[in-house]
Amino acid sequence: MARIELRNLRKDWAGAAAVSQIDLAIDDGAFIAVLGPSGCGKSTTLLMLAGIYNPSSGDITFDGARVNDVEARDRNVGIVFQSYALYPNMTVLQNVMFPLRFKKVVAGEAERRAREISALVRIDSLLERRPSQLSGGQQQRVALARALVKRPHLLLLDEPLSNLDASLRLSMRTEIRRIQRELGVTTILVTHDQIEATTMADRIVVMNAGRVEQEGTAKDLYEEPRTLFVASFIGSPPINLFDGRAQEGGIKVHDALLALTAPVTGDVVLGLRPEGVRVESGGRPARVVAVEPMGREVLYSAEFALGNVRFLEPGADARHREGDNVTLGFRGGEALLFSRETGLRVAARVAA
Amino acid sequence: MANEIAAAAVPAGAGADWASLARGARRKRVAGQSGLLAFLLIVSVPIVLPFFWMVVISFTARSGGVSTDVLWTSCAVIAPAVLIYVVVHSLSPSPRLRLVVGVALLATVAALLAALVGKQFHFGNYRFLWDANIVEEIRSKATAGGQFPSVWRAFFNSLALALTQTIIILAVASLASYYISRFAFRGREAFLQGLLVLHAFPAMTLIIPIFLILFWSGLLDTLAGVILVLATIELPFYVFVMKGFFDGVPWDIEMSAMTDGASRRQAFLLIVLPQVRVGLIAIAVFAFIRAWEEYIFVRTLLIENKNWVMSLYLFWVSDDIMGVDYGIVAAVSVFYVLPSLLLYVFCQKYLTQMTIGGIRG
Repeated sequence: MARIELRNLRKDWAGAAAVSQIDLAIDDGAFIAVLGPSGCGKSTTLLMLAGIYNPSSGDITFDGARVNDVEARDRNVGIVFQSYALYPNMTVLQNVMFPLRFKKVVAGEAERRAREISALVRIDSLLERRPSQLSGGQQQRVALARALVKRPHLLLLDEPLSNLDASLRLSMRTEIRRIQRELGVTTILVTHDQIEATTMADRIVVMNAGRVEQEGTAKDLYEEPRTLFVASFIGSPPINLFDGRAQEGGIKVHDALLALTAPVTGDVVLGLRPEGVRVESGGRPARVVAVEPMGREVLYSAEFALGNVRFLEPGADARHREGDNVTLGFRGGEALLFSRETGLRVAARVAA
Repeated sequence: MANEIAAAAVPAGAGADWASLARGARRKRVAGQSGLLAFLLIVSVPIVLPFFWMVVISFTARSGGVSTDVLWTSCAVIAPAVLIYVVVHSLSPSPRLRLVVGVALLATVAALLAALVGKQFHFGNYRFLWDANIVEEIRSKATAGGQFPSVWRAFFNSLALALTQTIIILAVASLASYYISRFAFRGREAFLQGLLVLHAFPAMTLIIPIFLILFWSGLLDTLAGVILVLATIELPFYVFVMKGFFDGVPWDIEMSAMTDGASRRQAFLLIVLPQVRVGLIAIAVFAFIRAWEEYIFVRTLLIENKNWVMSLYLFWVSDDIMGVDYGIVAAVSVFYVLPSLLLYVFCQKYLTQMTIGGIRG
């Protein structure tokens, strides 16, 4: 267990930066998620933490001590790969005991610890099997046990749930969370799945193109995204985005003129969460073009004064049908404004 | 494949006669399999027949000419038995019936052979195994005595050559190909291409320079010299093959081993090597057999008869008594071929895993 810090971390591949300017501090025992699309540098960051890659510049510290030059095998980091990376030539028990081989743990003690951790991740009935005889979920648990058996300073999970089917993913999410709490191990989860990130981690770091876009709780990221990328990446169904142009007295979006609380300049992007758009009297006219029942709620697409918009209504039954004319409104405070040029959030909001 | 196409061509609409469709498919499958078997039988005859003939000669020939009576008699007994078994095998899927028929046919063949050619059968041609002076005995005492070493000397020379060769190739090829597979270094591509060119290059053209180099370095007419030469010439091929196997081992597993506390060397030995086990066995068998059957280089580089290997022994036996006693030449050949044959039989499933540049062959 350790407090981890990354300071101005950078990794170049053949001259181009895969990761740059990563600054992060992870408290002892915290569970954070690194979220981003594929190729954003999150796995590279993970492997630098594990000591597989050397950073091109910047520092990694464990409990204040710089570990850049410490070899992977001495960092005491546990890692679970998307492919699980179990050793096919060994039984489950041998797999779990493997890390203890290098730790000068007495044989009997090693086996006791391996069995203990196996009970914790609930694979104690599989110990004599080979990895090829296990299902994906079981392999996942074995990989977790192997990563945890040496009591790591830091547990790294690289897309650990991607290869599991939907229901297993749900239960493993809870399982990993339970095990992490029980052991109190500092954990970093790398994922491209926002549900995984928001449900499992205390804090989320959103990465894009090798940089940290924003860091915060799921609520922060959803309600107060700092950049257009975060706003569009977080949320399902995704946020509605409309191009607008600054004008005298507000912004012009499609046919509509919206008043702002403060003046802006240049092109802007207006973001509206689907649940922030409501059918209400006195709104702007719209025509429903698609109805998608999703179980607990219904997702509609409509042609709106601002452009095409998706909105959600709670309840299993659809209240509007394709072709219906409705009037839609939204609260000015819930609308997000971004500068088109920089992608950054602007301070102004839509008035009322 | 043919069955699938056939099935697709028949419209299986409402009221299709499933039973007749199934019958048709079964008939096609049997016909296809028997056709394939027949084809394989026919094309294997020119390969199998000479080997069979060699075995027959070694057990039946006596001094003087070779008669083909025994060969044709045994073929006349064995060929129908094989045909009967093929028919049974393609018509009946039951393993029990196949086993019973197979055993019965084997017994019949054995009985018939014993009755028809049993009298000609003898082990006399194999007396070279315990008697070193066969050649002198056959050719008259006029030749210098003790010209021939015991066959066991040649056998153990061959064994030493093949085993050392195998060990060198295993050690060097596994380390070198791991490095090529895993590390990016300047000139890696050129090195790989160089390996291929080296393999394509006919080593025979180097035989005179190699002879001179060995002569000057004092390794001429020593097993060590031949081993060095053969290992050098053969290595590029095995490095290339092993690289394909190492390429197939996922990175994740190695990274995992290193975060688990293993050093690079431990990760290699404990995790990566066990996963290319099939490749190691394949190249070991291949290297062993290649060294066992080597002729040109040993013929050039080994001179004294104490250094003879099996291929040289066979050569000198046939050189000295060919035309006089085919039986002994055939018997030596059988003895020579036996280790290769056994290795092939027991390791063929590994040999088919050999890859070049990562493509399973």
